[in-house]
Amino acid sequence: MTSLVTARNVSKRFGAVRAVDNVSFDLEKGKIMGLIGPNGAGKTTLLKAVLGLTDCEGQLSVLGLDPFRQRKQLMQNICFIADVAVLPRWIRVTQLLDFVEAIHPNFSRSRAEELLAATKVRRDAKIRELSKGMVTQLHLSIITAIDARLLVLDEPTLGLDIIFRKEFYGNLLNDYFDGERTILITTHQVEEIENLLTDIMFINEGRILLDASMESLPETYVELLTSGNNVATARGLGPIHEREVFGKKVMIFEGIDREKLAGLGEVHPPSVADLFVAKVKGAQA
Amino acid sequence: MIRNQLALVQREIWEHRSIYVTPLAITSIVALATLAMLVFAGGFAKELDVAIFGASNIASDAERKIALTGFFVGTSWVFLFAAMVLTVFYTLDCLYAERKDKSILFWRSLPITDAEAVISKLVTAIVVIPIVTVIAIIATHIVNLVVTSIWVSVKGADAGHLIWGAVSFWDNWLAALIVTLASAIWMSPFVGWFLFVSAFTKRSPLLMAFMPLVLIPLLELIFLRSSVFAEAVFTRRGMIPLFRGMDLEGFFNENSLHINDEVVSLLAHLDVVQFLSSPSMWSGVVVCALFVTAAIYVRRYRDES
Repeated sequence: MTSLVTARNVSKRFGAVRAVDNVSFDLEKGKIMGLIGPNGAGKTTLLKAVLGLTDCEGQLSVLGLDPFRQRKQLMQNICFIADVAVLPRWIRVTQLLDFVEAIHPNFSRSRAEELLAATKVRRDAKIRELSKGMVTQLHLSIITAIDARLLVLDEPTLGLDIIFRKEFYGNLLNDYFDGERTILITTHQVEEIENLLTDIMFINEGRILLDASMESLPETYVELLTSGNNVATARGLGPIHEREVFGKKVMIFEGIDREKLAGLGEVHPPSVADLFVAKVKGAQA
Repeated sequence: MIRNQLALVQREIWEHRSIYVTPLAITSIVALATLAMLVFAGGFAKELDVAIFGASNIASDAERKIALTGFFVGTSWVFLFAAMVLTVFYTLDCLYAERKDKSILFWRSLPITDAEAVISKLVTAIVVIPIVTVIAIIATHIVNLVVTSIWVSVKGADAGHLIWGAVSFWDNWLAALIVTLASAIWMSPFVGWFLFVSAFTKRSPLLMAFMPLVLIPLLELIFLRSSVFAEAVFTRRGMIPLFRGMDLEGFFNENSLHINDEVVSLLAHLDVVQFLSSPSMWSGVVVCALFVTAAIYVRRYRDES
């Protein structure tokens, strides 16, 4: 496997606060990695370091380049959507396409036009005249038309309604992702993307709490729904998190032999959202 | 690099339409004003049988030449002043607006360095705005001479001799080009300062840019009883090295346009060599370069989130 992003002991401080604290991870070619964390967890700072928008301590290599010092070369092979609001509101759609065509060596104007033809985005419209959903469609069309090796998405569907959100991820998979390209994505709406992901990383207070493939999660983590006398027995097996639902106890275990849970209650893989809460709460306990 | 600069400069013109709308508006206003004057003068047909520059009360060709050159210089001055105001607002806005609307995150997602982005704004301020200004000056002159010529011809006079033969176009236009470009270079320390303010300030770029220009001389006067800063900054309003020791007001004084009875030359008043070898000009360029470097540094290292 080719590693596109290699981070070793990466840290970023703002005064006394460590926004990213000694983070190490690899992102390999052809993966779709979800970076999940609460507000202020350090997700955006980490993405900015990957994109060369901020300097950091430690070793960080993206496509074999130092992102902060070789940002221009890096941006020829990376695309990112920071937020739907960042397209300049004064520019016309045609001007935007003209500009990206002039600046970006890997941009295909015809591909962008082809993708935009399937939307209601008018070429002569200014960005300020488009709805939020249309702006996202436009941005994604431009990004998709760039032959980039890595796409970084930071809360790309923030503020969009459910129809545009579904459409966005549908287009992302159908038009952009081809198994050769790699995506690093952060979002709060983890339920919407968990089926897209091949890998997942949890981050909280600047530290990585989990870095695993989606395939490995059901093998490593298990959720037990139990009640009555079984609760004490299950607790004795050391769950990483416990909560109550309709009078029953829901416990999440890590790396446990499933036979030990047999007979204690209902056993199934936890959702990513529940696992995230378990890891964050577990780390705080 | 050049391809990127051209695209970036074009983007600046798209975003800041006032770069060409303002000169176009002034050209239209001057043309309308000339037309209005001609119509007004037509009311006194007996006294002013051919109006304005072709008027029979302007006796000699030399006087007509001075009148026309005076008109050329006067309108050029209006454009030059407008360009200065435009440059102040453009440079204060260009790096501030992209942070305010967060579009900086989009621009920085493209393969453009911060240096390229800031330099494109500098190029717009000290090359594009002056060139647009000179084009507008020339267009204004031509439009007004055509309007006047039509009027004079309708009155039965020889416009070719009275109007077109009485003015040294190349002399006037080359002088306008030199003065406009030289003004941009001469004022470049201010351009650099405004770009730097635009890159770092969180609010009110206009206030942040001009407050130090007022406060520093005041504080220097109160506490040090000197005016070194004020002299260094405010004496730059006249481009003395370019005008053979004359200040800008002197240059625009109609009386000083006389070389002799036959020749009226603006170029004769300009000393490009003295300007280009002037320590004042080069020290200004160095100050501009320092401020632009600082603006690039701020754009690169500042966290916009």
